[in-house]
Amino acid sequence: MAGPIINDTPVKTNEKRITIDPITRLEGHGKIEIFLNDSGNVDNAYLQIPELRGFERFCMGRHVMELPVLTNRLCGVCPAAHHLASTKALDAVFSAEPTPTAIKLRELFYMGQYTHSHIAHFYALAAPDFVLGPSAPASQRNVLGVVDAVGVPIGAEVIKHRSYGQKVQEIVGGRATHPVFGLPGGVSKQISEEERVKMEEMAKSCVEFGKFTIKLFHDVVLANKDYLGLILNPDIYYLETYYMGMVDKDNKSNFYDGDIRVVDQTGNQLLKFKPDEYLDVISEHVEPWTYMKMPYLKKIGWKGFVTGPTSGIYRVGPLGRINVSQGYTTPLAQKEYEAFRKTVEGLGVKGPVHHTLAFHWARVIELQYATERMLELASDKSITSDDIRGPYKEPKEGVGIVEAPRGTLIHHYASDKNGICTKINMIVATTNNYAAINTSVQKAAKALIKDWMVSPGLLNKVEMAFRCYDPCNSCGTHSLDDGPALEVTVKRKDGSVLATRRNF
Amino acid sequence: MKVLVLGVGNPILSDDGVGIHVARELMKRKLPGIDVEELAASGLELLDVVRGYDKVIIIDAIQTTKGKPGELYILEEKDFEKSIHGSSPHGINIATALALGRKLVPKEMPKEVVFFAIEAEDLVNVAERLTPKVAKALPGIVEQIEKELM
Repeated sequence: MAGPIINDTPVKTNEKRITIDPITRLEGHGKIEIFLNDSGNVDNAYLQIPELRGFERFCMGRHVMELPVLTNRLCGVCPAAHHLASTKALDAVFSAEPTPTAIKLRELFYMGQYTHSHIAHFYALAAPDFVLGPSAPASQRNVLGVVDAVGVPIGAEVIKHRSYGQKVQEIVGGRATHPVFGLPGGVSKQISEEERVKMEEMAKSCVEFGKFTIKLFHDVVLANKDYLGLILNPDIYYLETYYMGMVDKDNKSNFYDGDIRVVDQTGNQLLKFKPDEYLDVISEHVEPWTYMKMPYLKKIGWKGFVTGPTSGIYRVGPLGRINVSQGYTTPLAQKEYEAFRKTVEGLGVKGPVHHTLAFHWARVIELQYATERMLELASDKSITSDDIRGPYKEPKEGVGIVEAPRGTLIHHYASDKNGICTKINMIVATTNNYAAINTSVQKAAKALIKDWMVSPGLLNKVEMAFRCYDPCNSCGTHSLDDGPALEVTVKRKDGSVLATRRNF
Repeated sequence: MKVLVLGVGNPILSDDGVGIHVARELMKRKLPGIDVEELAASGLELLDVVRGYDKVIIIDAIQTTKGKPGELYILEEKDFEKSIHGSSPHGINIATALALGRKLVPKEMPKEVVFFAIEAEDLVNVAERLTPKVAKALPGIVEQIEKELM
């Protein structure tokens, strides 16, 4: 195959407002608007998120036990994360300590979710930019183009292992996409030895696939000096922010349980907090041009879309987690973490990695960790025990946090004594990243679009600044005519449209 | 011939869930030789569900510029050709998912995929109920789809 297409030829535009419009759902979609100044350089750029109305009102007055199956309907992309955050919130609401078996089953289920989600993002969404190249024609820069380039056997392995992740969730969680097994203090379903063995076999295969994915990342991305140049370019994909993520008692990354650690731009710990302390740590800023709120660190404050120690913007997700942790508890992921640190330290990076495209590397390391942890848990014969439900008390208020594949996910409920929901607050993973995503988009646009010169490849490189976060703004669950259609609208300074360019 | 009827949508997002509502009605009718499922997801998830069937009928909500809520459109895969094959922020579209399946597991993929798309009015407000116009059209739609299936 020919090498990836890194650059294309920009052409001069007469237009002052450029819109990148990824139409992902018919009922609404996020879009990027880029405003040019009089000299044709980027004045500003915004990522706008559409509105979804009434979810909190919808939940109030219902029994809190319904929330794990209602909140997971918010999203068809990471329902498992919502289900578990919700279940953990119910643990807190009912003062219920889950049994050891239940904890293992929940985590096993969750490793299935991570395996499926990270495979889907890396191969279907990220790989087109790397395998085909950021400036390859949009008609080829997609998962089908990736299969054409890498071959059908590898493509078949991708869907097989993504599907294994789903099957593990189905066996443990009752359903692959919208699970139903979480209960305060435990889970509703015991698993059989036969099911355990089946999951162990699938997990073994997934570990091998994780190894393969890391090798592929090295061969395709890290071995390509043009990509390394893009990744390391401090003017495009680079933000010095705070980071947030869950860690265990040894500060190793954990997706299911632990304290939430926040580090500063140099890697020093700023905070470590428990789920029920989140309101002391996070505040939310509102902008008039978008429906999504922008969380920031209360202690530091909101200073706008700027970075550095005086700005409360923080990042979550794979890059946040790798930056707040001191590695992983499983051997292969730890080995790759050490390789990651050695590489970045060789490039002069001492503390956290601020290079936004390193999200992709962190994500494949996490895939390896999830598969290894899945194997550890599926190999544990005690998970077939019938001790799956602990005692619970009268309901009150409680908070549950997990690390969703896209970042820290917080569910907070209050209940009256009859179990009726009187308050609900959620901060979802992508919301945590929203201010940072917006800042990333602004920075990339300013660096890439100059002197009126734009091209599809340049606009895709702007998109890459937010795609690596794996943003999921959709609270719905499907689409019929969705897709990566891009609409680029160029507007004058007064906002009037001069011209529109579409690839659909 | 193995036939799957798949209601797609979000059952708590007003008319977005119309495909699920139709599927639930069809399930009650226990149509001989036809599997009826619901799916609240898209993209790659679809591949897990449709494999092994000869024909798949997907029922979903649609919003067109001039459509009236509750109208039914029967569409084929070729109607989605204009939908761009590429990466979206968090998923791949149905057409891409089907094309991917045909590339990777061609023998397991259905030969025929038909879309029954129902014009939606509200896809923004969280609610378990359909809007009145779509709800009113539902029995007729179920009947029409049942006729198509028999």
